[in-house]
Amino acid sequence: MMSNHTPILRTLLLGATIIAGTAGVSALAQVPPADQPPGNGNATVSPGTPTPPQDAFSAPSPNAPQAPGVNAANIPDGPPAEPSEATPMVEQVTANPAHDDWPGYGRDDRATRFSPLDQITPSNIGHLKRAFIYHTGSKPAPGQVNKWAAETTPIKVGDGLYMCSAMNDMMRIDPATGKEVWHFHANEKYDSIPYTAACKAVVYYTSSTVPEGEHCHHRILEATLDERLIEVDSEDGKVCEGFGWHGMVNLMKGMGESVPGFVAETAPPPIVNGAIITNQEILDGQRRWAPSGVIRGYDAETGRFLWAWDVNRPHEHGEPKEGEHYSRGTPNSWAAMIGDNALGLVYVPTGNSAADYYSAMRSPEENKVSSAVVAIDVKTGEPRWVFQTVHKDVWDYDIGSQPTLMDFTRPDGSSVPALIMPTKRGQTFVLDRRTGEPVLPVEERPAPSPGMVPGDTRAPTQPWSVGMPRLGFAPLKETDMWGMSPIDQLYCRLKYRRAHYVGEFTPPSIDKPWLEYPGYNGGSDWGSVAYDEKTGILIANWNNTPMYDQLVSRKKADKLGLMPVDDPNYKPGGGGAEGAGAMAETPYGIVVSPFWDEYTGMMCNRPPYGMITAIDMHTQKVLWQHPLGSARANGPFGLPTHLPLTIGTPNNGGPVITAGGLIFVAATTDNMIHAFDIHTGREVWNDVLPGGGQATPMTYEYKGKQYVAIMAGGHHFMMTPVTDDLVVYALDNVN
Amino acid sequence: MSAFMKPHGAAGWATLLLAVIIILLGLPLVYMGAELAFLGGSLYYLVCGLAVTVAGVLMAMGRPVGGLLYLGACAFTWLWAFWEVGLDGWGLLPRVFGPTLLAIGVALCLPVLRRAEQARTTHVREVA
Repeated sequence: MMSNHTPILRTLLLGATIIAGTAGVSALAQVPPADQPPGNGNATVSPGTPTPPQDAFSAPSPNAPQAPGVNAANIPDGPPAEPSEATPMVEQVTANPAHDDWPGYGRDDRATRFSPLDQITPSNIGHLKRAFIYHTGSKPAPGQVNKWAAETTPIKVGDGLYMCSAMNDMMRIDPATGKEVWHFHANEKYDSIPYTAACKAVVYYTSSTVPEGEHCHHRILEATLDERLIEVDSEDGKVCEGFGWHGMVNLMKGMGESVPGFVAETAPPPIVNGAIITNQEILDGQRRWAPSGVIRGYDAETGRFLWAWDVNRPHEHGEPKEGEHYSRGTPNSWAAMIGDNALGLVYVPTGNSAADYYSAMRSPEENKVSSAVVAIDVKTGEPRWVFQTVHKDVWDYDIGSQPTLMDFTRPDGSSVPALIMPTKRGQTFVLDRRTGEPVLPVEERPAPSPGMVPGDTRAPTQPWSVGMPRLGFAPLKETDMWGMSPIDQLYCRLKYRRAHYVGEFTPPSIDKPWLEYPGYNGGSDWGSVAYDEKTGILIANWNNTPMYDQLVSRKKADKLGLMPVDDPNYKPGGGGAEGAGAMAETPYGIVVSPFWDEYTGMMCNRPPYGMITAIDMHTQKVLWQHPLGSARANGPFGLPTHLPLTIGTPNNGGPVITAGGLIFVAATTDNMIHAFDIHTGREVWNDVLPGGGQATPMTYEYKGKQYVAIMAGGHHFMMTPVTDDLVVYALDNVN
Repeated sequence: MSAFMKPHGAAGWATLLLAVIIILLGLPLVYMGAELAFLGGSLYYLVCGLAVTVAGVLMAMGRPVGGLLYLGACAFTWLWAFWEVGLDGWGLLPRVFGPTLLAIGVALCLPVLRRAEQARTTHVREVA
């Protein structure tokens, strides 16, 4: 009944809401736009069988060869390579970072995001002022659909600050003045932008074969949106001729049919015992047989292929033979990975098989390794262990966070080399990194099963990290619905009741929408966590943003115009990665939207929508926890409220801890960078950025002065202003 | 004779406007509240929506009992809000903030409604 509102009612509702809400203290979060689930009356399709149904849109065969231009640098293929071993590595700067430096994305080999700098403290932070702004030069040109979210964290080694732009230019900047020393032009095309133009960081590499003082002894490495590895010299920014084909490696080799923007890299590739490890983001929701999620190793000195870990070719570690390709549709990994030189492992946080919301066509091999941490031997490409965080994931709970390494002290005093794995579910797993065994208890708890999609049964249990505080709240109740007035609150209560919801892991449904809570933005997303080894304090910022999803029949998906990115009729905006998706070659398409009042643009659940938590890892207890982000830039109908009220906004970007007793975090949709006293959790400083601060900050010292840098690149999906500004702060009373 | 009040002066027009707004706010509460009740959700919105709509209609007819009914519904809303979310500020905001603002307006209109009723009863007596 009343499944379709008449336009009259919509107008009435909107008008009434405006009347009732004009005077409201409406401080609300900003969430992204998306198509709305169609609601009731979405005809069920019977099959659920792995035979691809007829689609109104034709698309290239997944076995078709790559069209020209997909290999962006036109690098010649050469014969398929057999597995080999990396050139031995010298110690890298991230192994024992210099006091003043921030030499890697997560600062060090353990991705702690902890700096020993202590010039800036809670007592003098009032003097923290802008020192300079550097412009990367990458932002949308007039007429281009905004797909920007730079997400960049610069690195600092010695006299150089190094970073990449959202479109993969690399540059060296003077750490004191922001003056550009060199600028490498990657010449990337707009078509190569996948879901987002982002480059999280570059990697600093010291060569073991090129002597000190010669070109390319110290190198800057990046992986690009258009699937290249590029190495340049750290002094002059010119390509390293000894690496790959004139300084570049073509990562589209062996990937088979694709189009620009389908496959991309946005995270810094770790270098472990001389091997560069690459993963890649495959655009979500496009087709079941999307390009492969293969993980590969390349020699850091020469760029030569070492091995591949290809889920559905489990024991073949070489490149595919001529005319073949890596196994398609396998779980892709897009998070920043982390290496372990001592154990010879790389820890890969994996995502989901292609066609995220339908699992009936996945192989048993895929089901073992999706949404998991996989430890791969960097010599051979053979997986050593797997720990799965979601079984048969159909909620897009792919892991976005980089694992952080720590030494965990057991109650008996023994020390375990451990790994902290934050997840979108808000479950934080602590694992023995030698074996993948949980260090803190993990329980398999019953989950809603068998589900509501014919032929696609859900897993009967899911893992819960019961030894760690949960970064999340209790399941939603009708009384948790929110709004500015009783009317929009009632509308949200109705949306709640119209959907399927039985708590976390509510299975996907076709007849009506289902509530996904936690949502796919987390919990913890790519911002990851920071950890202070001395005090044992872990800092995590996280989201509280449910989603409203619905599977749609193929017929309905065609009617909605959902088609995969490699369809000849595809137009940008016709089915984005994080919104509605065609999921071609499966029986269903997917419509995904925030769980919000689409008339006011406000989330349906009550605030907070973003939180920051400090956890004592010695006791696994919460030290403090409070909402993160103010209402100043958000409000109903997309209007800023200008209220300095800490409501807790959605946030993307990680925290940083300093020995000065501070936490720096931007991330929130109020476009601010915040500093907190780590001991009390009190906000001691903030500043309004020129754009959204959806990036992880970093800090360094240069010539006796401590600086804090944040990329205010904004985020198209978070609807924060996009700029090309790197904003750098320092105390104004230090010379 | 029209069932609706004939507004006199700014205060009269403001009262009529407030009554119309209250009707416009009450109707979606009834419509959506009925669906919510049908789906097993809270009955509050249907009940309160009916009360508010009737209150608005009575106010438009110049009857003080309409204003009193609205004030009663608002008082009931406060009790219900405490029962649902306790003293939680974020939880109370959507439930009581708007209705209370309107209630202040309704309270200010009560004298206007009384005058309207007096005028009508006098008029009716004269006719009789």
